[in-house]
Amino acid sequence: MNVDRRRFIGSAAGMAATAGVAAGWLWPKHSVSYRRPRSCVAILNAAEYSEKIDTLLMDGLRLFRLNLLGKTILLKPNLVEDLPGPVNTNANIIGAAAHCFLRLGATRIVIGEGPGHQRDTELVVQAAGLKSHLADRRIEFVDLNRDELVRAKMKANYSGLGKLWLPRSILDSDFVVSMPKVKTHHWAGVTLSLKNMFGIVPGMKYGWPKNLLHWHGIHESILDICATVPIHFVIADGITAMEGNGPLQGTARELGKIVLADDPVAADATCARLMGFDPLRVQHLSEAGRFLGNLRADRITMLAESLEAPIRPFAVLPDFHYLLARTDM
Amino acid sequence: MARSAEVSAIEKTLLQRQLPSGGWSFFRSEQASLETTCLAGLALGSASHRSAVSTVRFLKASQLSDGGWPAFQGDSEEAWTTALALCALTVLNETSDESDRALRWLQGMRGKEGHWFWRWKFKTADRHVRFDPDKYGWPWVSGAASWVIPTAFSVVAIKQFTVCNRSEVSEKRIHLGVDMLLDRACVDGGWNSGNSVVYGVPLRPHVEATAIALLALQDERRSELIERSMAWLKKEVARVDSVSSLAWSVLSLFVYQEAVEALKNRLATIMRDGHDIRNSATLATAILALKCGEMIHPFEVLR
Repeated sequence: MNVDRRRFIGSAAGMAATAGVAAGWLWPKHSVSYRRPRSCVAILNAAEYSEKIDTLLMDGLRLFRLNLLGKTILLKPNLVEDLPGPVNTNANIIGAAAHCFLRLGATRIVIGEGPGHQRDTELVVQAAGLKSHLADRRIEFVDLNRDELVRAKMKANYSGLGKLWLPRSILDSDFVVSMPKVKTHHWAGVTLSLKNMFGIVPGMKYGWPKNLLHWHGIHESILDICATVPIHFVIADGITAMEGNGPLQGTARELGKIVLADDPVAADATCARLMGFDPLRVQHLSEAGRFLGNLRADRITMLAESLEAPIRPFAVLPDFHYLLARTDM
Repeated sequence: MARSAEVSAIEKTLLQRQLPSGGWSFFRSEQASLETTCLAGLALGSASHRSAVSTVRFLKASQLSDGGWPAFQGDSEEAWTTALALCALTVLNETSDESDRALRWLQGMRGKEGHWFWRWKFKTADRHVRFDPDKYGWPWVSGAASWVIPTAFSVVAIKQFTVCNRSEVSEKRIHLGVDMLLDRACVDGGWNSGNSVVYGVPLRPHVEATAIALLALQDERRSELIERSMAWLKKEVARVDSVSSLAWSVLSLFVYQEAVEALKNRLATIMRDGHDIRNSATLATAILALKCGEMIHPFEVLR
């Protein structure tokens, strides 16, 4: 068979392109999998931020039979800006979580955050009302934007970042608890326990905002970060949540829930359902369901209240209407 | 007099935190941060010749091969801290080959929208954030867009270093940087990280970013926007108790000949001997603010 040179080159290029596309589909983009057969979620009803949260949270945490004896716990709240409204994880929930984990046997609590917009972390901590909760010497705040950094190889490769400098406090902790505020987000759709981990990326290296991650893809970066720094537990503040133009300019939405989970994907999928969204339509969450945890409702055991879709879904910007779940969910 | 004793105590605290490498870290770590080292060197340099010498030595040793500085010791990638390092070398009177190389690095560095393709994308397809992509400045780190604080420090550094002999390239970058800052200002004045309006909604300015942006504009024409931003800063700083924001506001308002004594007194009261301020960069900035008017202002631009 005679094959002229032009045709040969054309065929070879076509095959190479096909192989490249196939490799993208077949070659796994992650070297870890944290997905277990089943995950547990507890939805707690809480109408307001009060002193009763300590008891409520303690009762909720006991449902999970966590082994925390002697461990250093890193609480990663969502502290973004010194703004009024439901922008930050409520300080009473952060404080209550810290005290509950100490009572459950932890020896040290590190509250770590690296705000992505406001460079003055002290201002954010003051405005969030966190200072009074740091009186106990076993509870310490660490500015993750300015912590000592260690270069970590990413355990997933969605973003192409390859390696990332990460705070030593995060890498040295035994048990990472993501504590998001339940909010809509004008770039990522939602900001829940997975997106909350953007805050561990140090501003000292990547700036304010952590714009390099945006250039590498927000959803892709979330997946890589959460593969590299696994979240062991989630406490999501959904008492007063945010809808519309989140994460800063949205409006308050009284949801009246705290969501606890031993799996961040199950936590975020549950929160998304509580918001009236289809979790499969949140890009990073859908992909996270392949290896970071359980997305499907039939793989999630509800330990407390049952999951009910809201009468009125959370308001979203027009670009995010696709997130809304069909009413026959 | 009383304040001078307080400042001496704070200086002593900062000096005690110097690492064997000659640098300083933000918190208690052995990993020196360039931002902290530059600010600490500037804060202690006027009072202690030894500190000035060790800072300069550290900066010279940590400069990367193409003229930039990393954000922290151990990193091999240049960052926005190059602008701070150039300011420090200029103010500490160490204008050498290292400074020339830093200037060239700053002249060559630009935010990602400095490339025609991304400018085109921001003009046509990606319009959620309101800004003019033709007006670009400097990124925090290579491969990202321009932001307010790195642009402001780069503008100050180039203005200071080239005050006696400014090339066309430097002039062009200064103008572009100034235009970028003016373009990214918030609707009612002031600056945040660099997003003034997102999805049609105006975002709020930040005290620290506003103070630093104003430092970069100190020798520009006092436009209505600058006046509005100053007014916002003066009003807002009155309710702020954070040391860093307060200190940057003092440094900024001082170069505009605004009264800063009351702010300095408030800062001194919060600071006491500085032991409770764990962030050494904040401690250094506070010293600079408390000594404002008594030493060379590290970010003042001569006209």
